[in-house]
Amino acid sequence: MPPLSLPIHGQPAPHRGPEQRWRSLAEAAGSADPAAGSYPDGDEAAPDSFGRRSFMQLLGASAALAGLSACKPPREKVVSYVRRPAGVTPSLPGFYASALSRGGHAVGVLVETHEGRPTKIEGNPGQAASLGAAGLHELASILDLYDPSRLAGVRRDGRPLAWSAFLQEAAGLAAAHEKDGGARLRLLAEPTSSPALADQRARLLARFPRARVHAWDPLAEDAARVGARLAFGRPLEAAYQLEGADVILSLDADFLASEGDHLRNARAFASRRTQAGMNRLYQAEAGYSVTGGAADHRLRMRAGEVLPFARAVAAALAAHHGLPALAALGAAAAGELGRTAAAVAKDLYSARGRGLVLVGRRQPAALHALAAVVNAALGNTGVTVVWREPALLDPLAGVAGLSALARELAAGQVDTLIVTAWNPAYTAPADLGLAALLGKVPNLVYLASREDETSQVAGTVVAAAHPLESWGDLRGRDGTASIVQPLLAPLAESVTELDLLSAFTGQGHLGAWRLVRDGWKARTGEAGFDQAWDGWLAAGVVAGTARPPVAVAVDAAAVAAALAAAPVPPAGLEACFAPDDKALDGRFADNAWLQELPHPVSKLTWDNAAFLSPATARRLGLADGDVVALSLRGRTVDAPVLIQPGHADESVTLPLGYGRTQAGPAGAGIGFAAGALRHAAAPWIDGGLELRKTGRRHALARTQEHFSMEGRAIALGYDVGALPHAAHELDEHRGEQATILPAVDYSKEEYRWGMAIDLSRCTGCGACTLACQAENNIPIVGKEQVLKSREMHWLRVDRYYEGTPADPTSVSQPLACVHCESAPCEYVCPVNATVHSDEGLNEMVYNRCVGTRYCSNNCAYKVRRFNYLDYRGTMAPVSKMLQNPDVTVRARGVMEKCSYCVQRIERVRIGARSQGEKVGGDAVVSACQQACSAEAIVFGNLNDPASRVARLQQDERRYDLLHELGTRPRTAYLVRLRNPNPELA
Amino acid sequence: MSALFTKRSNALLLTTLGVLGLGAAGTIGGLLLYWRTPYGTNQNVQIVQPVQFDHRHHVQDDLIDCRYCHSSVDKAPSAGIPPTELCLSCHSQIWNKSPLLDVVRQSWFANKPIVWTRVHKLPDFVYFNHAIHVNKGVGCAECHGRVDQMAVIEQVQPLTMGFCLDCHRNPQPRLRPLEEVANVRWRPPADRAALGAELARKYDVKPKVNCTTCHR
Repeated sequence: MPPLSLPIHGQPAPHRGPEQRWRSLAEAAGSADPAAGSYPDGDEAAPDSFGRRSFMQLLGASAALAGLSACKPPREKVVSYVRRPAGVTPSLPGFYASALSRGGHAVGVLVETHEGRPTKIEGNPGQAASLGAAGLHELASILDLYDPSRLAGVRRDGRPLAWSAFLQEAAGLAAAHEKDGGARLRLLAEPTSSPALADQRARLLARFPRARVHAWDPLAEDAARVGARLAFGRPLEAAYQLEGADVILSLDADFLASEGDHLRNARAFASRRTQAGMNRLYQAEAGYSVTGGAADHRLRMRAGEVLPFARAVAAALAAHHGLPALAALGAAAAGELGRTAAAVAKDLYSARGRGLVLVGRRQPAALHALAAVVNAALGNTGVTVVWREPALLDPLAGVAGLSALARELAAGQVDTLIVTAWNPAYTAPADLGLAALLGKVPNLVYLASREDETSQVAGTVVAAAHPLESWGDLRGRDGTASIVQPLLAPLAESVTELDLLSAFTGQGHLGAWRLVRDGWKARTGEAGFDQAWDGWLAAGVVAGTARPPVAVAVDAAAVAAALAAAPVPPAGLEACFAPDDKALDGRFADNAWLQELPHPVSKLTWDNAAFLSPATARRLGLADGDVVALSLRGRTVDAPVLIQPGHADESVTLPLGYGRTQAGPAGAGIGFAAGALRHAAAPWIDGGLELRKTGRRHALARTQEHFSMEGRAIALGYDVGALPHAAHELDEHRGEQATILPAVDYSKEEYRWGMAIDLSRCTGCGACTLACQAENNIPIVGKEQVLKSREMHWLRVDRYYEGTPADPTSVSQPLACVHCESAPCEYVCPVNATVHSDEGLNEMVYNRCVGTRYCSNNCAYKVRRFNYLDYRGTMAPVSKMLQNPDVTVRARGVMEKCSYCVQRIERVRIGARSQGEKVGGDAVVSACQQACSAEAIVFGNLNDPASRVARLQQDERRYDLLHELGTRPRTAYLVRLRNPNPELA
Repeated sequence: MSALFTKRSNALLLTTLGVLGLGAAGTIGGLLLYWRTPYGTNQNVQIVQPVQFDHRHHVQDDLIDCRYCHSSVDKAPSAGIPPTELCLSCHSQIWNKSPLLDVVRQSWFANKPIVWTRVHKLPDFVYFNHAIHVNKGVGCAECHGRVDQMAVIEQVQPLTMGFCLDCHRNPQPRLRPLEEVANVRWRPPADRAALGAELARKYDVKPKVNCTTCHR
């Protein structure tokens, strides 16, 4: 131990150097130094080791300090900037525009940062795919940024390697491949629309002319592109204009939640769901999707029956409505299917030019082509659907390319394989045996953000940067480019796909920023570039880069031939693969927010399951949670069963993305790997599935066990024609109602905050729940706690079925604290921890709460959440960076609930009042409202008659939840409207 | 058999209960009182900072406005601790060899921030916002005192919830014209009540006393 230089009584004080701190003003002024020689002889030499006096002194001091520190915490430190970054005001959030990739396309986002620390992702109102809304995966991806299990650096054969050393090795490898033109070099990438990546790939192929790029996306929309090629001769991209669509026939397309530009589509669809000029949606599907829940007619059929149904519609259009062009494409159907098809055809015909037929990615290309021809024949093309050149560099990214690569790998024709696609060893169809083949590649370079199935077999693993740490660019489906800009330097050493590719093209020293910027400089010219670039970064889009729609002419004969050759529906029990609404293809399986988010329809958390209909379950003698052995084409996987009301009979939906063997703590060992049954010949719809009961049971953690309203008026829905007659019925659920305590008059207050939730617009996707979780620091509790009903989401989305279990309709109802004016929770709290503000907020005071839970007992809406455990005790330090500093982090034993985003109210209020202005009626936007793509949630000041929320609360559809209790909720609901076809009633 | 307890034990029991009760009340009351003393609220403690910064000199002698250094006080929750760059905007020219500024220069050249010790500390669950107070005419000196007379910054007000609420319930005696907000030497006129009433009207001062006004 080095000698302590504490000032010992009787010893000279050590010399105070210029860098040393001072303890008193006198010492600082230099007057406290004792004059040398004023001490007795022999005491001047300081002991050169840890002496007895030092020991006694420390002992006494630490005992005294231990006593003191129990009384007073140590003083906090404040750290100032050396140089304050431009645009940063400490304690005020900043917002930066960027873009996230979804299937290779851009979704514009605004990222909230606090002193350089991103805390929340929101939609970018100026970007066409977002329009200010955010989907589940955009919202949740910020959690991945702070995941402590992310990889760091480069690892080669289990040993860390410096990035600079890797660059050298890559250069050597590239030089070796250059000799034969890269004949043994391959790149396995995800489809992307990035112009900068396009440049790098072009450079790669210029340097290695015999190398090849294979694109692979397990959720690729190949069928749509091939279908467009059949119909138009080229693989065009469809863009739907749902604002103009009166009648929509969706053939297995989940266009409101998981396919295409779903945020934009949901916004446009919802805009036509209120009284005036309501649209009508027919949804033909096997599983129960979010879009199916929003449909007026959900046509329950096996996925393999969708094509015959569509042909029956085409036949009916040709036979009864004078569209002979469709005669060769149609094939009449008998029975119920034929009658339904005739009614749908009639409706589509009567709305010609204002109708739309759209097809999901799982359906065969011939059906996509048929829909294109039907849309053209009905005059919908150019009005409700326009076609553009695809923005993706690789419009085709399905099984075909991957199979070709697998053949090359098996033949030993590849020496170096660069993999930037996510986890192909897991996502590849099982029959390709890709995991084993990848293990045999001499040089496998894999870009990954976390350990996964592929990183286990890769020789070289390069840590991938999170999109919020990356420079890059992307295009939206309409071609509009966005610059991806980083919000912070990588938390751990990691690089982007651009950096990795450039290491092989001789530009590894440049870095992604230069590559992107120089690329755009070359595209747009030097003049005024710097200013334009700053503008693009600020706006989040590069103006004027949208691609114009192209005029199309259909080739009906080619489509007819394709339809004739289309695969017949497979016999036997149907296996229908689907991307999971939360985990997608598995890349979000490690995201605990998504794992804990209840599935939009089944309300399942922390799991996937084989979904089948009540009738099929009865036939097979299965109950919820029974584990069955699923066998398909000789492969077997054990999976729990979930009985899904409304599912097509004799069909089983198998959600992908679970059953990960190598993943982070949140994703490993959860659910079953449906992908292990997937076959390259039929990656989406297959037949001949066998189910065998194993006798085992699996606990499924579902957040809503009651699917009916038990005869109470909770989520109300009416047919649009019946609404005028329902006014008296609705009057029972609104208006004056006696309250237990004397009612308070809030009409004189300046602000009376309130909310209106339009059930007609809500699709039930769950984005509001996640946005609330991000905004309000809501903890994750895990599967065990969810099984005990201890989930902490302040905002839940209830889903109720109506009708028979075989074929019900559903209503989704977002429900958070409704801020009762006469709140039952308040008068039972013994410590006044929940009280009312003068503006009507039902406030929760965490510091007063002693955890009696009386409030939750007395809450009629069951929206209060209790911290049974210290859910943050084990949080990694890096994960704490995610917390919103404007919201208190709650401790164990404390009740919490929706605060109407009071931190946002106060931020807007202080901003306005500091300027001497009033807060506008619509100026405060709650987190749930902001994320909602359907604009179903509206927040604002009820005392401002011009505000949107005040007008909505005056709507004829308004009703109050549990009105009869006299709680006077501030959140009002607007009844769900349906627009059924009388002919199908 | 004689009684197990003598008569005397009644008195003993009552006395014991009384002492225990008084002791419990005294402990609780004492703690409550203790946290309200200047010692409990950390008032009037001179904190040693890494740089011997003297507000007296900067405010009194040089007449530098508070907002020159604490620049976000009128637009953000935090008043802002000046970055090293700001210190050196003057001190690269004057006193640029003073040993008192060694730490500042080291911070600049090493690009390492200066770590100050916080003097005015509110609990983490209090969301105090400087901007709204300053923009409504609450002067810096109302909470921070005569900074121009402090060699070392110390906390002069208790900064307890009661202190906040006193003013939130009756803000008028604490208001001053906006032009004088940062003027620590401002002397209120004789009739401060009238001025306060007028300013409250003029600036639309309506402080709230809801829980969520400060706790979120």
